[in-house]
Amino acid sequence: MSAPTGTATATEPTSRRLVHRVVSDEPMLTVEDLRVQFPTDRGDFNAVNGVSFTLNRGERFGLVGESGSGKSTTALAIMRMIKPPGRIISGRILLHRDGGTVDMATLSDEQMREMRLSAVSMIPQGSMNSLNPVRRVRDHFEDSILAHNEKATKGEIAERMKELLTMVGLPLSAGKLYPHELSGGMKQRVCIALSITLAPSVIIADEPTSALDVVVQRRVMETLGHVQDLIGASVLFVGHDMGLLAQFVDRVGVMYRGKLVEVDTIQNIFAAPRHPYTQMLISSLPTLTERGAFRKARSASDAATAANIAASTPGTSS
Amino acid sequence: MDLAMQVEEQLVNAPPDSGLRRRTTWKYLRRNPKLVVGALMFLGLLAFSFLGPLFVNTDEAAPMSAMPVTAPSREYPFGTDDQGRNLLAVAVVGLPLTLQVGLIAGVVAILIGTILGLTAGYLGGWVDLLIRGICDILLTVPGLVVLITVAASIKGSISVQTMGLVVAALAWMWPARTIRSQVLSLRERAYIQMAKLSGMRTPEIIFREIMPNLLPFLAASFVGSVSAAILASIGLEALGLGPQSEPTLGMTIYWSITYNAVIRGLWWWIVMPIALIIILFLSLFLMSAGLDEIANPRLRKADA
Repeated sequence: MSAPTGTATATEPTSRRLVHRVVSDEPMLTVEDLRVQFPTDRGDFNAVNGVSFTLNRGERFGLVGESGSGKSTTALAIMRMIKPPGRIISGRILLHRDGGTVDMATLSDEQMREMRLSAVSMIPQGSMNSLNPVRRVRDHFEDSILAHNEKATKGEIAERMKELLTMVGLPLSAGKLYPHELSGGMKQRVCIALSITLAPSVIIADEPTSALDVVVQRRVMETLGHVQDLIGASVLFVGHDMGLLAQFVDRVGVMYRGKLVEVDTIQNIFAAPRHPYTQMLISSLPTLTERGAFRKARSASDAATAANIAASTPGTSS
Repeated sequence: MDLAMQVEEQLVNAPPDSGLRRRTTWKYLRRNPKLVVGALMFLGLLAFSFLGPLFVNTDEAAPMSAMPVTAPSREYPFGTDDQGRNLLAVAVVGLPLTLQVGLIAGVVAILIGTILGLTAGYLGGWVDLLIRGICDILLTVPGLVVLITVAASIKGSISVQTMGLVVAALAWMWPARTIRSQVLSLRERAYIQMAKLSGMRTPEIIFREIMPNLLPFLAASFVGSVSAAILASIGLEALGLGPQSEPTLGMTIYWSITYNAVIRGLWWWIVMPIALIIILFLSLFLMSAGLDEIANPRLRKADA
């Protein structure tokens, strides 16, 4: 295994691992009793209803659940990006960094702005459109860096961009391209490079591979894992694809209707899912050996879950 | 996967084909004849007003400098008026003055409109409510009545610059409304979310992320504002509320009406300013429509 050099060549990101990930028991991000509320015509709705979990240093933690389960809202709440009239009504978002602990829920807007990208970064959902169509890739790096360090020179920015593009396995010439000149996977890797511009402690990836085909999906995930190892960050991965998650995360939290119903290591979740919703999620995965397993596995607990869903959704009966 | 990577790299590293870019620009211009024809007409008018003084004695734009009431002839191609002005000289001097009024009003209107539109659209909430409210209320006010009142209340003779500002005073609401509506759509784009997630400040997001996306739209509405301002200023001048001592196109119409040019058969007196105004508006309209096609690709026609 030869160590990759810092040259401009596009190297396969994960073929040779430089750094091995160290997962410790030391917490990096602790979310305690997080509640996000949206006022509606039919009363207040808690999209996130008392979610607590801990993300350890160097760990990959997956948040999984169906659409509307509150997993993306949880991610946005950590970034303090909930749009009014929605708001965080309670909870603590503790970031353990530089020997101290900050509760991000209590920071001022300006303090929180400084935290974004430098301490916690997020690769947003639908990254296909996450780059400004009229600005070149290098302008995006410039904007991100200048927002946190107004004194950064052109040379410093160009230098940093080179490092970042190499880290995600893109050629340096990508800097001068416009987003529409990049493929979907390349765009996504640019987004990953942007998210680690300031070497944050936590990277939140909100379904970063939606709308990509499986081959590109795999490479994007490898890139994400690779850069995580390089900068030693923790990753909070939000998604709904249990198969994808199984290959990537260490632990997983299953969200259902705004609550975290089950948290365990990925092995335990697959081996012995406790919550009926988790069981349903796993049984929904297609398998090679059991065709139509989903239909066959419709057990009593599945039926209970289905009835539960039906009861809470007006206008359906089963 | 390695193969895919290599192909990708080759694509990215391929030298940009500058010839291709030139060809596509040409092809694009051919598909957008409105912009080309409009711009050429406008350039012709500019050449007329800037090169004109080299061939025409502009002193003859003043009264009592030529034989009065002569029909177009070899000596006076546009004829002369009742007061002894050479109407060709009046056209050469008056057109840039009228353009100046339009440009001053257009620039001021777009500037105010852009700032208010961006602020209202991006910030939303009560700021939006306030700005939109003011715009809506002012839009219901009949502009000409207010302009007449303002123009009439200015003591003494009004200058071309003041004229531009008077017109601008009621010309910024429409740009503000339309720019706001554009921003409402732009601010929901994923890349604005990305900019916020990168910790960019609100002014940075507005001017570095949203503004570049608005440029074609701003160009189109700027041209639109200039023509609206010229129309408003000519309307005021034709009523006699313009700069009395300047031979602008609108003032020429005013004098020709005052001295009963049409009844007395002095048709060339009123035809000159009106013909110039028609050419000017045609060129501005064509440019505005052409720019609109750039800003709004749905208006584009398929490649012929």
